[in-house]
Amino acid sequence: MAERKLPKSTGIVLKPMKRTGKQLLRTLIFGKPNTVLYPEQKLDLPQIYRGKQVLDFKKCIGCGNCVTVCPNDCMWLEKVDDPELGKIERPGVDIGRCLFCGLCAEVCPTVALHMSTAYELANSERGKLRLSPMDIRDDAFGSTFVEERQKRMLPTLDLSKCTGCEKCAGECPEMCIAMMPVDRTDRNKPEINLAKCKSHAKCVAVCPEKALTMTEVYESYFEMPEPKLILDNCSGCGACARKCPSNAIYMLEMPGTEKTLKGGKKGKPKKRAVFVFEKCVGCGRCYQACKFDAIEIPGVEK
Amino acid sequence: MAEMWINMGPQHPMTHGLWNLRVKVDGETIVDAEPEVGYLHRGIEKICEGLTYPQIIPITDRLCYGSSLTWSHLYCQSVEDLMGVEVPERAEYIRVMAIEMQRIASHLMWLAAYAGDLGMSVGFTYTMRDREVFVDLLQALTGSRLTYNYPRIGGVAHDLPPNFDRDSIRAVDYMEGRLKEYEDLFEGSKIFMMRNVGIGLLRKEDALNLGVTGPSLRASGVSYDLRKDMPYSVYPEMDFEVATLDDGDCYARYRVRMDEMWESCKIVRQALQKMPKGRWRMVSPRNAPAGTGLGRVEDPRGEAVMYVVGDGSDKPYRLKIRSPIFVTVSAAPKILVGYKLADVVAIMGGLDMCIGENDR
Amino acid sequence: MNLFEFCYGILHWLVDLVNNLWYWLGDFLPWYFGDFFTAVGDFAASDGHLTFMTILLESVVIIVVALINVLNFLWIFRKLSGRILDFYGPYYVGYRIGGWLQNLADGMKLFIKEIIVPTKADRLGFLLAPVIFVASSLVILSVIPLSVNFGLSTNESGEYVSAGALFALAAFSIAPFAILLAGWSSNNKYTLIGGMRSAAQMMSYEIPLILCAASVFLLAGSFNFVDIVDAQHDVWFLIPLFIGFVVFLICLIAEVEIIPFDLPEAEAELVEGWTTEYGGMRFGLFYMTTAVRSYAGGALATAFFLGGWQGPSFIPDEIWFLIKAYIVYTVFMWLTWSVPRVRIDQMLGLGWKRLLPLAMLNLLIAAALKSGGWF
Repeated sequence: MAERKLPKSTGIVLKPMKRTGKQLLRTLIFGKPNTVLYPEQKLDLPQIYRGKQVLDFKKCIGCGNCVTVCPNDCMWLEKVDDPELGKIERPGVDIGRCLFCGLCAEVCPTVALHMSTAYELANSERGKLRLSPMDIRDDAFGSTFVEERQKRMLPTLDLSKCTGCEKCAGECPEMCIAMMPVDRTDRNKPEINLAKCKSHAKCVAVCPEKALTMTEVYESYFEMPEPKLILDNCSGCGACARKCPSNAIYMLEMPGTEKTLKGGKKGKPKKRAVFVFEKCVGCGRCYQACKFDAIEIPGVEK
Repeated sequence: MAEMWINMGPQHPMTHGLWNLRVKVDGETIVDAEPEVGYLHRGIEKICEGLTYPQIIPITDRLCYGSSLTWSHLYCQSVEDLMGVEVPERAEYIRVMAIEMQRIASHLMWLAAYAGDLGMSVGFTYTMRDREVFVDLLQALTGSRLTYNYPRIGGVAHDLPPNFDRDSIRAVDYMEGRLKEYEDLFEGSKIFMMRNVGIGLLRKEDALNLGVTGPSLRASGVSYDLRKDMPYSVYPEMDFEVATLDDGDCYARYRVRMDEMWESCKIVRQALQKMPKGRWRMVSPRNAPAGTGLGRVEDPRGEAVMYVVGDGSDKPYRLKIRSPIFVTVSAAPKILVGYKLADVVAIMGGLDMCIGENDR
Repeated sequence: MNLFEFCYGILHWLVDLVNNLWYWLGDFLPWYFGDFFTAVGDFAASDGHLTFMTILLESVVIIVVALINVLNFLWIFRKLSGRILDFYGPYYVGYRIGGWLQNLADGMKLFIKEIIVPTKADRLGFLLAPVIFVASSLVILSVIPLSVNFGLSTNESGEYVSAGALFALAAFSIAPFAILLAGWSSNNKYTLIGGMRSAAQMMSYEIPLILCAASVFLLAGSFNFVDIVDAQHDVWFLIPLFIGFVVFLICLIAEVEIIPFDLPEAEAELVEGWTTEYGGMRFGLFYMTTAVRSYAGGALATAFFLGGWQGPSFIPDEIWFLIKAYIVYTVFMWLTWSVPRVRIDQMLGLGWKRLLPLAMLNLLIAAALKSGGWF
């Protein structure tokens, strides 16, 4: 092995003493030490710092995606009786178990949930670390925050108003609206290819029933599961439509399924659920609500 | 004096975590050593089997407190291999820049702990102070100070914050000035050289046979760096050298890490220069196909491997983690025997133990 | 007026004051009580009793002054370490005076903690070791005068004990016994190794230390501190005996066990060495005594090499002495916070192979200077 060249330490300990002496002069005479005296001084935190969660009640739709994605199961949905918004469901956080990974804010489809820069969260009682939705409520926080996720103006469909006139499909310059017949109903439903949509809003302008409206949609990087209807099992009870947080499920009548009543009169036709996938946030609550195994989500078990 | 066993650990200033090094001493000379690990076992591999793919990313951050970004990057890389996700080029550059910053921060933390072990408080505080610069940068980039949770399957979580380029270039310039100061502080001191030169000799054959990787292997004269030998991400585009020394003692291990910090500074500069514009994140699939994915990266501590088995659902069937330190610690008896008790801290400190990834 | 006369005067005045009252009381009593009162009063006013009480009072004064200095030293230790290592050091407790009260606060905290003796420890030795350590360190201070007038070990006429320096060095070397006792009686492997290391270290560094001191004694021609300092009136021994000064300082660092040589309490490998099992005020005593020994070491270096209390007369002699001792301690601290810890075999090698020959060389130089007639 070749003899290696070691750096010369001629001064024995004088070199490091020179460095520390300089530092001593710097901290004692020409300046101050580097320490941040914590309770008096605090670090400047960047906007994206992940501290305590903050929830915008008005934007939140109560879908529970944050609850599902949380790796530590530290969030839950709680029923809240709000004077303004009525009876709603909003998430609460157990700060004591939170990882502060920020996945809940990232997955939120309406960017109602944010991570604020508050980090002094210690408490003397463990119970007080369980923050209810009211504790994390701050409706004004979103306006102070420069949202990093890009938003697009996209047409959303209110299927109850739609008559299936096909005017929107003819008007779209990108040809991204296709009228698809809905099984066993006599209705056509416009299906909008959101990937191709360029937000011209011509379909909205032309819609005679005002069934299409432009709304802000935030881009999501998570591929969410899409529910799939097994039509034979569907009893038309409407539980899924009531549970859906984003009103993406509509109950449509199926003509020709009317039962003949005693008097020879025909009763009401059976209903079926119809999904408007553009509005679906993938929370899976319809799947949980369905008692007849009529909705399944591929790859997800109940 | 009769021979006696001394337990250095699980609670001992030398251990940097929870592990136990039993050394048998004859007076002050070590005649036998036996590392015991497993005190910090959290069952991360098993936890991961119950979580969906995006949920695992913050868990992999918890593998190593020193270099959490590297581990989550490794996880994302292996899952991308499994799912066949294309990562945007900008994201790759951001990742490389971030993990090189993480490498500098990790090596600085090692240097701090090493200096503290040798009784050199000044080394501890100066290096930790300068690590803060990079921690602040990574905080501005990722939003957290220690468990970054930054890489995502198919990109990274955020784009660069405003003025980040300027700040990073400044930080790197500052760091290069500081590295010279460390060389004065450490190598300029005769006592430091006395404590390091010729201590903890790990020969090339032993290092290879025991599976030691990373700076400890490169200090033993084997030029083996996954960034060069099995390039991943955009490392082929980068111009850097693999720091290698032939001596295999504590001083060589120290020197290799110092040289790596210089190289990392170079890589951060290049990555910032070459970074293209564009998207930084793609939509990641929810379910993985049935199959396997493998990721190998050069962790600051050695070769880290993750092996993911997917079964078509949104949760991995199995996640295997190969920790470099788990292998390196097995070399402890080989290195320690014959040296003095005070050398234990120099030798084991020089290996850069991280018990979080070791016990998983 | 020296310290003895000052204390004697105070006591004399006090005794006179009390005796007046005492005799006046005695006048009211029957004669047999009155005689007893007179006898007691006469004894209190006698010269022997007054001298004895004076010496006690002097000790108290010296120890109080020393402990105030020790607090200062600890403050310097913490403040300087903070500033060199780029943090604040003591800050909040005693904010106006730079955090000076922090040590008192820590002392109070240590006082109210329980004294825990490990079950299998040798109880007597465990409890005795701090006492020996503290006592042997404080007794060094008894012979070191801060100036001609401010010292304890004088006779009535103010002459210092002739072998004061020798006594100081002898008392300095009792400590290894206490440390070995502490290390062995704690019944712990770390403390045992620490105690053994301490014994080896102190014994091997005692010899160069005393050889350097011997060269000073040779040049001064006396073991008396006042004579040694007076001999440096023209030129400090620092200049002719520079090698000796450096060796003396290095040996002092080893003797007071601060960082390059703090092997007995090496934090990284031996947890806290021989103080591992001690808690509460017994640990506090060890901690304080380390500063006492630093103070004594700085004072010895000042008296032997830095001209003692000699300096321009606009500052009192005692303050000159303290300034020099503080400077020596500050240099110690500067060195301490710049370097790592050495290994025990390297340290013994340094002591026996480097410092001992250098000390011998220094002694030769001193002998040459003396025989050449320069001193």
